[in-house]
Amino acid sequence: MNYNFQFNVVWRNFDVLLEGAWLTLQLGVFAFTAGCLIGLVGAAIRSYGPAPLRWLVNIYVIFITNTPALIQIYFLYFALPEFGIRWSNEACVLIGLTLNAGAYLTMILRAGFLSVRQAEMEAGETMGMSLPQRIRYIVVPHIAKSIYPALANFFIVILVMGTSVGALIGVDELTGQAINLSTVNYRWLEYFTVAALMYVVLTFIASIGLALLGRWAFRVKARIF
Amino acid sequence: MPHLAVNGIHAKYGSLDVLHGISFDVDRGEVVSLVGPSGSGKSTVLRTLVGLTPVTGGGIEVDGTSIDYRSSRSVRAARDRMAIVFQQYNLFQNMSVLGNVTLAPRRVKGRKRQEVEAEAMDLLDLVGMAHKAHAYPDELSGGQQQRVAIARALALRPEILLLDEVTSALDPELVNEVLDAVRRLAAEGMTMLLVSHEMAFVREVSSKVVFMDQGKVIEAAPPAKIFDAPDSERARDFFGKVLRG
Ligand SMILES: Nc1ncnc2c1ncn2[C@@H]1O[C@H](COP(=O)(O)OP(=O)(O)OP(=O)(O)O)[C@@H](O)[C@H]1O
Ligand SMILES: [Mg+2]
Repeated sequence: MNYNFQFNVVWRNFDVLLEGAWLTLQLGVFAFTAGCLIGLVGAAIRSYGPAPLRWLVNIYVIFITNTPALIQIYFLYFALPEFGIRWSNEACVLIGLTLNAGAYLTMILRAGFLSVRQAEMEAGETMGMSLPQRIRYIVVPHIAKSIYPALANFFIVILVMGTSVGALIGVDELTGQAINLSTVNYRWLEYFTVAALMYVVLTFIASIGLALLGRWAFRVKARIF
Repeated sequence: MPHLAVNGIHAKYGSLDVLHGISFDVDRGEVVSLVGPSGSGKSTVLRTLVGLTPVTGGGIEVDGTSIDYRSSRSVRAARDRMAIVFQQYNLFQNMSVLGNVTLAPRRVKGRKRQEVEAEAMDLLDLVGMAHKAHAYPDELSGGQQQRVAIARALALRPEILLLDEVTSALDPELVNEVLDAVRRLAAEGMTMLLVSHEMAFVREVSSKVVFMDQGKVIEAAPPAKIFDAPDSERARDFFGKVLRG
């Protein structure tokens, strides 16, 4: 291969890539956190809610998980303005990713609701705890502990695959910035190599963060790799 | 007026009838024991009292007030006065011992953390578990979990304590520890309904023994009477076996 790598162009614009990475991390953390809240409510409704609400949640989950995230975000960005709803490109990515994550997390967290020990729920009930209290103090710690690896994996999926969709509607997260920069001076290979490495570093940092959080908050003996 | 009156209750699991008209009374400060063969419905009686298994006939009164198990307010009022220790302890696995004991007093009764924790440590001390306050249930033996479950129930400050086989998972030394705790509570005037296979203990601690078989009360009498000179053939047969065996 005769390609002449010139990384100094990349280093000159490294701060721009860093900004992109920072936005990627923010988008990922927000969509995941908000998605977890949606997923928790969705899973609780699917487990304990009345039939009409359960159907609504099922429709939401089926609809979202069977269509590409890109189409969902395009819908928010290009189709909603037809109905007079106009959001910025960043808002569209954020809302789209959150709704998308919420549907997947409803399914993931549902497994946690199903596997919680009935005996503990009964104990809580006889002690006078309300259903929301039982969810908060019995189900959530159980979920956090028993399906922590699945949750951590899903966070990485959003962080890496989810957020990069933003580039397609001009959100300057890491992939977006790499595209922006390389269209200026055609150093595609350099920019994308560095961007890829930055994704690896991001997921590495995120994994360590999640493992520490799991150990500290939920007694999860998670291995980092 | 009895503290707890059980009047002809029926209960079923799905289509299986398990209780066929159970009646007995427990006076204030009295200790009553439910005994009978495995599967006779003893645990189910306790479950109906705390509203976990629906009552399909008959009724239950606490202090003369009948509990309406279809009304969540009435059930909540009943649960406020009764606490149950389950046969399988049912501790919260993802919470420390101290967390298990303090959760409901703090979150349900809304009491202050410091006060609740101090009281919890006293209760754990009472059952000999203070040194494990920060351990998790999966780090404890069955008997240790059992004792934590007793402390957790007492932290609710119940008027009526329901104990389901609290000594079944214990070695003989610990049995005595737990029985001592129960004795102390009885002496303090706690109303108790207990399910037990420890006949010597039942005889010593209870003022009345309710003998159940196949979802019915066969005979209810003071321990001396029911152990030594029961009226029914079935009770004679059962106690003859367990007391000798
Ligand atoms: N969750 C359940 N679903 C269906 N049947 C049940 C359930 N729990 C108990 N049963 C049945 O109800 C009957 C009474 O059970 P229960 O647990 O009250 O007996 P017990 O007297 O406490 O027995 P043991 O001394 O073994 O604890 C038994 O025939 C049992 O098989
Ligand atoms: Mg039982």
